[in-house]
Amino acid sequence: MLNLAPEDWLAIQVTLKLCFYTTLILLLIGTPLAFWLAQAQSRWRTAIQALVALPLVLPPTVLGFYLLLLLGPHGAIGSTLEALGLRHLAFSFSGILIGSVIYSLPFTVQPLLEAFRRMGQRPLEVAATLGANQWDQFFNVVLPLCRGGFVVAATLTFAHTLGEFGVILMLGGSIPGETQVLSVLIYDHTEAMNYSQAHQLSLGLLVTAFMVLFIVYGLNRRLEREVSL
Amino acid sequence: MMSFWPSRWCSPASAAPAKAASRQDAGVLTVDLLVQQQNFRLQLNEQIPLQGVTALFGRSGCGKTTLLRAIAGLDRHPTARIHFAEQPWQTADTFMPVHQRRIGMVFQESSLLPHLNVQQNLLFGYQRRANRLLVQLQPADVIDLLELDPLLTQAPGQLSGGQRQRVALGRALLSQPQLLLLDEPLASLDQQSRQEILPFLQKVARELKMPMLLVSHQLEDVVKLADHLLLLQDGRVISRGPLAQQLLQPEFAACGAMSVLTAVYQSCQHFMLQLIVGGQLLQVPAPVSSPTANGSYRLRILARDVALSLKPLADSSVTNQLAVRIIAIQAAAHPAEVLVQLEVADQPLQALLTRQSAQRLALTPGQALFAQIKAVALD
Repeated sequence: MLNLAPEDWLAIQVTLKLCFYTTLILLLIGTPLAFWLAQAQSRWRTAIQALVALPLVLPPTVLGFYLLLLLGPHGAIGSTLEALGLRHLAFSFSGILIGSVIYSLPFTVQPLLEAFRRMGQRPLEVAATLGANQWDQFFNVVLPLCRGGFVVAATLTFAHTLGEFGVILMLGGSIPGETQVLSVLIYDHTEAMNYSQAHQLSLGLLVTAFMVLFIVYGLNRRLEREVSL
Repeated sequence: MMSFWPSRWCSPASAAPAKAASRQDAGVLTVDLLVQQQNFRLQLNEQIPLQGVTALFGRSGCGKTTLLRAIAGLDRHPTARIHFAEQPWQTADTFMPVHQRRIGMVFQESSLLPHLNVQQNLLFGYQRRANRLLVQLQPADVIDLLELDPLLTQAPGQLSGGQRQRVALGRALLSQPQLLLLDEPLASLDQQSRQEILPFLQKVARELKMPMLLVSHQLEDVVKLADHLLLLQDGRVISRGPLAQQLLQPEFAACGAMSVLTAVYQSCQHFMLQLIVGGQLLQVPAPVSSPTANGSYRLRILARDVALSLKPLADSSVTNQLAVRIIAIQAAAHPAEVLVQLEVADQPLQALLTRQSAQRLALTPGQALFAQIKAVALD
């Protein structure tokens, strides 16, 4: 039944790579950011929180548009890279990776923020009085106590990146093997009237997305109660 | 009412067993602190003895917990200066982080790490500190002392409030602290649970000779545990000193004046302890809970349980009679009563009398007379 063309397989590969790297990078960035947001009393807190949530309300095209300007050959970052003898980032995998990271940021930060708030300061204070430094506290207190938050954050980030379309189309276009992810390929197939191809991939994506969410939420039913979104 | 418990404080031949491990260099904890927040100001500059139990006593909101957290390093107040003996914990340009200060802290409510069982909680601090330092307390000893053996494999959620605090205390002790900080450790417990943990706190104070700072607003707990007292009011320390003297402060008269006498154990017959205070005999029923031990005992005597007579009373149901001397006569909380400050063998004792009785007996400072403490009133 499954009759995928090489370009379909390539798109699946690019998509999974993008999802994986985005999730990895966002967990590394999102954890300290959410941790800071959970305890900061700085007046910057509100501004940062608004910035983090911005991708939730902005049309992806707006985000993609500005990133294209910024990362493209004439943008601040793109031209700097060119000056250094490197390539600008528009229409490249690195470019859409940056776009994905920004676009999915709230989906990492929000569950982590909730989990950290739920945990509160006390366990960390306890650990500190017992001789644990910050890293020790993170690995032996925060990580086990907020495990659910991390699982939910990683899953949502992965799944959200899987469904990303607007930013990638604006910023990366549709270069097979580089920026052509499943959602973009489905669009291309539809444009070309290849409905059966589009249908196969769409259904596959639908089922995959559902399975990922179902398995994770099924395994962590209690976590779903703990972490509200 | 009068109750007693062995005191680890006054006699060199105290009840401490030989295994008492940690000996601390007696020094002082110097705290210079100014905290200014909206509606709240805490300012003090104190030297707290690093010996025995020092109670930080005062009403809720007087700044006790703020002080304790500053000492622990959990809150960082830019102008604070804190020295633990010779060790600078916070100066103008240094701040020793919490995890490097060798403190053991017991918080008000349950603070056991929920993802670890009792044994893992107990060893959390031990594993982090014991390897690098001279181990003074072994897990087996602490488990034994606090009777934690039956709880080791349980999860924190399965424990009662009193048990949790007992585990928290053991965990703090096993982190090999030089100073134990107790932030209202009994406040969240019901009366029964308090009784489950109090004897253990007394044991720790008595047997381990660990300097402790105890934050409390319960005078009952303070007189059982403390040797020294810092009285806080509205963000200031209004008086400080040994417990027995501090109890004479007028602030305590309002909530029921009492005295603490230290008596030396002589013998125990028919479940009655024979104790000596300044060469005079006192008899009190032996405690049921803890076995009798040599050494010194602390007796709590409420001022209203002390009667005065000019001559020794014979043929009375009162068994305890002490020769005392009047130091001063003060107004009491009730306008019809006076609080008589007495002295027995250099220890203060207070008696609450009606103004009428005081006039009838023509009491004057310097006068020698007899105080009766009813034996039935003893705990």
